[in-house]
Amino acid sequence: MVNEVPLLQLQGVTKTFPNGLVALRGVNLEVLRGTVHGLLGANGAGKSTLIKILSGSLPASGGRIVWKGTAVEYSSPKAANDMGIATIHQHIPLVPTLSVLENVFLSEEGRWRRNPAIRAHFSDLCQRIGYWLDPDGLVSDLSIGQRQMVAILQALGTGADLIVMDEPTASLAASEREVVYKIVRQLSSVENKAILFVSHFLDEVMALTDRVTILRDGQAVVDAETRELDESRIAEAIVGRQIVALEKAPPQKFDAGAPVLLELKDVASPGKLDPISLKVRAGEVIGIAGLLGSGRSEVLHAIFGADPDATGEVFVDGKKIRKSTASAVRAGLGLVPEDRMAQGLVPGFEIWRNTTLPALDGVARGRWFPDRAVERQRGAEAIRRLSIKANSSDIVVTELSGGNAQKVTIAKWLFSDVKVFLLDEPTAGIDIGAKTDILLLVRELAAAGKAVIIVSSEFEEILAVSTRILVMRDGRCIAERVGHETSEHELVLLAGGHSANSDGAQQSNVQSL
Amino acid sequence: MNLTTSTHTGAAGGSNASSGGPTDGITPKMQGHMIDWRRLFSLREMGVYYALILLVSAISFVTVYTGRPSYLSLGNISNVLYQASLVAIIAVAMTVILITGNFDLSVASVAALSAAVLVSLADTLGFWPAAFVAMLVSVLAGLLNGAIVQYLGINAFIVTLGTLTAIRGVVQIYTDGQSLSVQTPEALQAMRMFESGRFPIAIPLMVIGAGLLLAGFWSLLRARRHARSVSVTSLGMVIGGVCCLALVWAGGVSLSMPKPVVYMAVFTMIVWFVLNMTTIGRRVYAVGGNPEAARLSGINVKRYKMAGFILCSAAAGFGGVLFGSRLGAVNPTAMQGAELTVIASAILGGTSLFGGAGSVIKTLAGALLLFTLTNGFNILNLGANYQGVIEGTVVVTAAAIYTVGGARRQKR
Repeated sequence: MVNEVPLLQLQGVTKTFPNGLVALRGVNLEVLRGTVHGLLGANGAGKSTLIKILSGSLPASGGRIVWKGTAVEYSSPKAANDMGIATIHQHIPLVPTLSVLENVFLSEEGRWRRNPAIRAHFSDLCQRIGYWLDPDGLVSDLSIGQRQMVAILQALGTGADLIVMDEPTASLAASEREVVYKIVRQLSSVENKAILFVSHFLDEVMALTDRVTILRDGQAVVDAETRELDESRIAEAIVGRQIVALEKAPPQKFDAGAPVLLELKDVASPGKLDPISLKVRAGEVIGIAGLLGSGRSEVLHAIFGADPDATGEVFVDGKKIRKSTASAVRAGLGLVPEDRMAQGLVPGFEIWRNTTLPALDGVARGRWFPDRAVERQRGAEAIRRLSIKANSSDIVVTELSGGNAQKVTIAKWLFSDVKVFLLDEPTAGIDIGAKTDILLLVRELAAAGKAVIIVSSEFEEILAVSTRILVMRDGRCIAERVGHETSEHELVLLAGGHSANSDGAQQSNVQSL
Repeated sequence: MNLTTSTHTGAAGGSNASSGGPTDGITPKMQGHMIDWRRLFSLREMGVYYALILLVSAISFVTVYTGRPSYLSLGNISNVLYQASLVAIIAVAMTVILITGNFDLSVASVAALSAAVLVSLADTLGFWPAAFVAMLVSVLAGLLNGAIVQYLGINAFIVTLGTLTAIRGVVQIYTDGQSLSVQTPEALQAMRMFESGRFPIAIPLMVIGAGLLLAGFWSLLRARRHARSVSVTSLGMVIGGVCCLALVWAGGVSLSMPKPVVYMAVFTMIVWFVLNMTTIGRRVYAVGGNPEAARLSGINVKRYKMAGFILCSAAAGFGGVLFGSRLGAVNPTAMQGAELTVIASAILGGTSLFGGAGSVIKTLAGALLLFTLTNGFNILNLGANYQGVIEGTVVVTAAAIYTVGGARRQKR
C-alpha cells in the first residue's frame, strides 16, 4: 500500500473566485485505487467547488493536481473524462427525451446513432454492476433512482478509473440506496476503481467508505481511515462544534385541549392520495413518515390548495378555505416545498425580496407600496434569526449554498401570521448544522402555539420533533403513532411495508456495520 | 423622453462614474453596504444608454461637421420622439408581458384591427365611442391570447404566432382588403385633437423634474444615513430630474411636445411606477422569475399572466387608435412587421426572454435607439438600404452583450 502511487493527489489546491470569495484554502487529498473515499463537509465548506475542479468545470487558482503520479492540468469536463475522472453530479444531467442507451453513451463519438457494438457494451456494463435497465426506455419515464443508475452507467461507460459521486443517495428511497451501495462496493473491490463518495448521511459514510476526508471552511480538517472514526467524531469535525443532541431531548409536551388549527375532511387527490382526515392542534407537530412516492408531498400540496385535482375540505381555525394557494396563504398556511430552487425561491431576487414575497402586504405602506427599508430589515432579521451565512440581505439567493437557501424558503413564512407550517423535506441535502437549526426552529414554532406538519425521509428527525407521526404508503395513511412511543425501526417497517422487512434489516445492518 | 438630451445625460453619467472611481478599491466585504459602481455602470446594466448617447453624439457631430442643420435641435428631438412614440408605447407593455414570462407576437395585428375598427366606426359613432369599441376589441384579443396560453397551456410563442396571422386575416375580412378612411369632418377634427396637437410641457416637466430630483436626493441621503447601498432607482431619479430640467432650460417656457409623446411618457411613468413601487410590480417579477415559487407563495399566477396579455393587447389597441387617428385612414397591411420592432426595443433594453427581468425605461431607450438610427439615416442621407443591416446588427450585438455579460457575472 505504501509504495503504491495514489491514483489522484491534490496538493494545496486553492480556489479564489473573482469576487474575492475564498472557497478552498489549500486542500490535500489522496485517493487510492480500490478504495471508497468519503468526502464530507457542511454546506459552503467547499465540497462542490472541489468537485467542480476535479470534474474540470472550474479551474483551480493554485496548487497541483497529480494524476497517476504526474502533474496534470485540464480545463474542461471532456478533458477530465478522457483522463479517467468521471463525475456523477447531484442533479443528474441526463437528456430526458433520449433512451437509456443513448444517454449512457452520450459522449461517445461514433458516427452512427445505432450501433450494435454499443448495445453489447451496454449489457456488459449492466452485468458488471449487476443492475439491469431497459436500454430502449426513455429516461423521462424512469424514477429518480433509475436515473441515478443511468448516470453511474454513463460514468462507467467512459472507462473512468476515478468516479466522483456527489450525493448519489440524497433523493433516493432506502431500497434504491442499497442498490447504489452494492454497486459502489462492487466497483471498488472487484473492479479496483476509486470512488470519491460525497454524502451528508453519516451512517452510509461509516458503512461504505474506507477513508474519509472532511472539509471545513475550505480546508481538510480530517483525513483518516474510516475505521478510526465514529459518527459523532465525524459530525463534530463537520460542524466544528458539539451538535445539540436533539434526539436525547425530552419528548414534546403539548396541551391536548388546545384549539384545532387545521382540520382535514376527506382530503384526497385522484390517483395520488386516498382520503385522509386529520385534526391538528396548536402546538402540535405532526410528522409524516413515508418513502419517496408514498403520497407524503401530495398531502401537503392538497392541504395548501396547490393541487388542482384535490378534493375534500380544509379548515383553518374553523373556517373552510377555498382551493387555491392564495386563499391558503391568506388563511394562515405556509408551505416550504421539497425542491427549494424550483419551487421555493425566485432566482433573480435577493434574500430580502424572497423573504417578503408571501407577505408583501405586511411590509407595504397602505397595502400597495412595499417599503424597501422595512423589507431589508426583514431580510436582515431572517439572516440573524436563522443564522443564514450571508453578508447582507442584498445577496441574490442563487449565490447561497443549499442549506442557507433552504433557510430563506423557511424565513418566507416567519414574518406573517402563519398558523400552520407545512414543511416538505426541510432538511434534504443540507448539512448537520443547518439541520439542527431547522429542527430547533420547528420546536420553537410549536412552543409558540403554531401547528407544524413535517415530511421527511429521515425518520430520526421526525422522531426528534413530532408529537404524532403518520406513516404513509402508496398514497394512504396506514398508521398513526404517538411520537415518543415509536421507534425508527418500527417506522421503517411500516413505511416500507411487508416487502421492506428485508430493507429494514439491511438498513439496520448498514448502521451497525 | 429625458434620454435624448444626450449631452446632459452624458455629463451626469460621467460625473457619477468618476466619483465612483475611488470606491473601486473597497474590499468585497464592504460591498454589501456600498454601491457596486463597476456593476452599476457596466455595459450590461447601462449599455443601452451608452449606445443611445454614442449614437446621438456621433450623428450630431457629423451633422455639425458637414454643415447640415443641427441634429440636436428641439424640433428634431421632438420629431424622433414622435416617430418612436407609437412603437414605444407597445414596447413598454411588451416588456411587462416578457417579464411575466410570456410573449406576444400579435401586437401589430391587434393594433391594425383596432385602427380598422376605429376608422370604420368613427363616421357613424363619432371618435370617442369608436375608440372605445376599438380598445374593447383589443382587450378581447388579449383575453383570447391569454386564455389559450394560460388555460389550455399552449406555448405563448405558438399561440400568438397563430393569432398574428389570424387577426391580420380578420382585418383583411373586416376591411374587405380595401383602405378605409374617415369622411365626416367632426370625426377627423376629434382625431386631430387627439393625435396631432402639441401639449405645452414646460411647467409639468419642471414640476416632475424638481420632484424627481428631490425624491432622488432624499432617498440617497436616507441610504447614506442608514449606511445602505445606494439604489439604482434613486440615482436614476436624480439623473431623470436633471434631464427634465435641462430640457425645460433648452426649450424655454413655451416648450411643447406632440401629444403621442406625452401619452408615451405618461404611460411609461405609470408602468414604471407600478413595476417598481407597488406590490403588484413585485409579484409580476416573481411570477416571471419562478412561477412555481410564486404560486406556492400564494400569488395567483394565472391572473397576473392573463393581465400581462390584456395590458399588451390594450397598449397595442391604443397604438392602433393613435395610428388610425394620425392619417384618418387605414389600410389592411398597416403596421405589418411592427411587432418585431417592438420586441427588438424590449431586447435592446435588456429584457429577458425567459421572464423575471426587464425595465421599461431601458425599453424606452431601446425604442429611441432604433428610431434614432432610422432618423439618423434620413438626416445623413445614407440611404435606406443599409438600415436593415445596421438595425439587425445592433439588436444582435445588444443581445450578445447581455448574454455574455450575464454569463460572466454568474461565473464570479
